[in-house]
Amino acid sequence: MRLFCTLAALAVISISAAGPASAADPPGSGAAAGSGARPGTPARPRTAAPAGDETPVVRPCPAEVVSGVRASLGIVLSRTSPIICRIGRTQVRGEDGTAGTAPVITADAFLSDGRTARLEMSPQGAVLSTAFAHSDLSGSSGKGMALLFWVFALISVGGALFVISRRNLIAAVMGMVGSFLGIAAIYMMLYAQFLAVVQMLVYAGAIMVLFVFVVMILNRPEDEPVAPTGRAGQALGGIAILYLVARLIMLLVQVRAPSSAAAAPPPTAEGYDWGSVHAVGTDLFGPGLFPFEAISIVLLLAVVGAIAIARPLHTDDDAPARTREEGAA
Amino acid sequence: MTSILWDIGYPHFLVLAAVLFLIGVAGVLVRRNALIILMSVELMLNAANVTLLAFSRMWGDISAHTFALIVIAVAAAEASVGLAIVVAVFRGRRNVEVDRLNTLRH
Repeated sequence: MRLFCTLAALAVISISAAGPASAADPPGSGAAAGSGARPGTPARPRTAAPAGDETPVVRPCPAEVVSGVRASLGIVLSRTSPIICRIGRTQVRGEDGTAGTAPVITADAFLSDGRTARLEMSPQGAVLSTAFAHSDLSGSSGKGMALLFWVFALISVGGALFVISRRNLIAAVMGMVGSFLGIAAIYMMLYAQFLAVVQMLVYAGAIMVLFVFVVMILNRPEDEPVAPTGRAGQALGGIAILYLVARLIMLLVQVRAPSSAAAAPPPTAEGYDWGSVHAVGTDLFGPGLFPFEAISIVLLLAVVGAIAIARPLHTDDDAPARTREEGAA
Repeated sequence: MTSILWDIGYPHFLVLAAVLFLIGVAGVLVRRNALIILMSVELMLNAANVTLLAFSRMWGDISAHTFALIVIAVAAAEASVGLAIVVAVFRGRRNVEVDRLNTLRH
């Protein structure tokens, strides 16, 4: 368990470290830098025009701009990657309709979740506009994350194969625990931290203990784990599996990540909380309130049903073996 | 070819979920022990959860997390009731192999 926690922490670190590598090319570089307009970004009344062809990179950034970016993005901002500033001019319209240009500093900042933010700042450090580009998992994600993905995918698939191939029931349950832990790490790679913890608590903790107790009651290896089938059944099963795999591959090659505008929402100044307890709870007690209440009734019925099913038919103090004999006679 | 290995994208997670689901289907279809069949069903539910979370991240919709949480709760309820049935059947018949539970057929 301690090893797994270490690996899960490594996964998180790798994901956050993979961000700057994947965001090596800031969005909209070049002439479009001044506008900052991307599909999905609402048109702003203040149309910015690039001042000339080159937008010189300012190094280091002005302190006002850095503090403004930090104040705007908060904890989301990557602590390790620098903020890249470019100076340009933007067209402004005054209240009285007069047009002119004003200096604007375009700051590209890397976020700790692998995305990039482009902020247009005034030289005094005021944020004029903010745009985000969603780059995690849609492009390269870094080799560390790839390595961890394959490790945990192998753990989960290997555990699953262990489950359906072992005759010993305890071995199958242990393979199931490994598979669930691998799936929890996969959840964490998908930025579902809360669900990863719930997965470990509920599945690897509670449900697996339940299974182990039942195995303790049964505790008999099977004589013949796989049901014998005829030649026709095997052929039919093979054809069905081939068809299923073919359809899966056909579906998966068609999957395309959506454009950055439709992807994950921009972080807020309070912090980027995708998949956290706060984010999941806000959705669970908002739109998901009725399913949440309904699931409590389902769980109550399951508890009552499990007790009603599993209790002995005769509740007197007879031994179970004797009641069976009476039932058989 | 190496880009498939090193560039982890959403299709990787979807393929992983599909593989886990297929293993679960194979376990349900092939194995005879009711306990293993229950565990395979849990595996299929988990694969569905991985798919939900991958699409959730892909489309930026947090409500799939709520859905996955409810799936986990339903899976817990299903495991408890299923294991109760397994225990009850074992108490009466001394085995839980689904091929032998054919009293209603005869």
